[in-house]
Amino acid sequence: MLKVRNLNVSYGGIHAIRGIDIDVERGEIVTIIGSNGAGKSSLLNAVSGMVRYQGEMEYEGQQLPSQPHNIVKAGICQVPEGRLIFANLTVLENLKMGAYLRNDAKEIERDLERVYSLFPRLAERKKQIAGTLSGGEQQMLAMGRGLMSSPELILLDEPSLGLAPMLITTIFEIISEIKAMGKTILLVEQNAFKALAVADRAYVLEQGIITASGPASELLRDSRIREAYLGRK
Amino acid sequence: MSIFIQQIINGLSIGSIYALMAVGYSLVYSILNFSNFAHGGVIMLGAYFGLYAVTLVGGLPFLGALAVAALLAGLVAVALEKIAYRPLRKRNAPSLYFIISAMGASIFLENLVIVTIGPTFRTYPQMFSAAPIALGNVTISRIDVLMFAIAAISLAVLMFIIEKTKVGLAIRACSFNTKASNLMGVNVNRVIFIIFLLGGMLAGVAGMLFGMRYTVYPQIGVITNKSFIAAVFGGLGSLPGAVVGSLLLGIIETFGAGYIASTYRDLIAFSLLIIILVIRPSGLMGRVTEDKA
Ligand SMILES: Nc1ncnc2c1ncn2[C@@H]1O[C@H](COP(=O)(O)OP(=O)(O)O)[C@@H](O)[C@H]1O
Ligand SMILES: [Mg+2]
Repeated sequence: MLKVRNLNVSYGGIHAIRGIDIDVERGEIVTIIGSNGAGKSSLLNAVSGMVRYQGEMEYEGQQLPSQPHNIVKAGICQVPEGRLIFANLTVLENLKMGAYLRNDAKEIERDLERVYSLFPRLAERKKQIAGTLSGGEQQMLAMGRGLMSSPELILLDEPSLGLAPMLITTIFEIISEIKAMGKTILLVEQNAFKALAVADRAYVLEQGIITASGPASELLRDSRIREAYLGRK
Repeated sequence: MSIFIQQIINGLSIGSIYALMAVGYSLVYSILNFSNFAHGGVIMLGAYFGLYAVTLVGGLPFLGALAVAALLAGLVAVALEKIAYRPLRKRNAPSLYFIISAMGASIFLENLVIVTIGPTFRTYPQMFSAAPIALGNVTISRIDVLMFAIAAISLAVLMFIIEKTKVGLAIRACSFNTKASNLMGVNVNRVIFIIFLLGGMLAGVAGMLFGMRYTVYPQIGVITNKSFIAAVFGGLGSLPGAVVGSLLLGIIETFGAGYIASTYRDLIAFSLLIIILVIRPSGLMGRVTEDKA
């Protein structure tokens, strides 16, 4: 579904992504694990067209569009690190922003109901200004907003960041539910254990280079990865 | 008492023109975070566009000329954005560069008019009866009523667009975070085009009304200093703030001019600016910001 070849991203002198290849197949959860500064967000931002890059990216057999709005139109939506919800808008307006490029009012209404059933908290608070939501609720809103674009491929950037353990469990359960809705997910995480547990396949990114990849269950058993990312032998 | 009411009405009338100009500043500031000092040039051109629409083109009626002034001024604002700001945006230039570019554009427009049309003062032909409307003891000039009514309608239309339409939602989203809006599929360039078009059209309306009320000359754009003060007073970036700030400034100025001396008008306005910046830099309704460039 998504094919990334020899991707390079630089910021001035910083070479953040150094020639990586990544594949995502339809219906999968693929996770990219790696520590802070490894280049995970840079990868997602390259796919979303938010940073300049070198290399090839193919989506559904076609070259990926270059403009962010055309990428959303093509069916790829990013739920960014730090949520970036519109704190000045209501919950409902945030969700409507997710559906910005769509004109199918009936379908939008149906997806809104779906998002509300996935995140009942959002339904209760739809009139509330989003800036007043708790961190967990903001993460739910960011994910719900992303789903409102009716994407085929969802890029999730550290959805568990800064959340309490209970909420992290909830968020990962919801990620499985989103997969069950037929969506494909590229999940970036520092919480390697949870990410590997939910994913089908995984890549390990270190300083802009892929150092390991394979089925998530295998990486979960790999002693080197257990030591480096899971803190256990 | 009647003088008091008279002053309030005069204040609201001039304040509503400040508001038309101030919302243009605020719209641009809310998304691009800089004060568009070229706005005065657009207002000045609006005054000339209206004048020529009334006098040249077989003498368009008032509303026709107003539409022409609004449309042409809107196009000028959009062109300015393309020429003076878009290249800076592409390079992620700091706010200061935008302000310098805006000041340059403003000087350019003023001088363009001086060399092509000339530096002389011009006046609109009389389009409405000069006879004031009498309401008991209070007399109101027709043009003041007209200015207030047109400004109120224009601002209501703007508010409707911002609060009730999809484009308005995108404008509000961009004003909070352009990156996130972009990730949601918003074409940020198009939103910026729209805010310059809207701000420019209101500037055209304001320029023509102001030109009709007073006179038309190449430096007429300095009036936007007042609307800038009003926008800061209300809270830069906040549209309701810009409107409230403008009306209050109009009233305060008019009272100052009426009860103290008319030469104090500008002194009062600028003193107000300094007081606000010291006491409450975010203005009456503005969000708290780091730097107000
Ligand atoms: N906008 C930017 N400008 C300059 N350097 C950046 C920028 N964004 C990221 N970087 C640098 O690129 C590297 C990778 O960052 P990032 O992709 O955010 O990593 P991660 O998401 O894995 O934490 C880091 O060294 C970071 O400092
Ligand atoms: Mg990151």
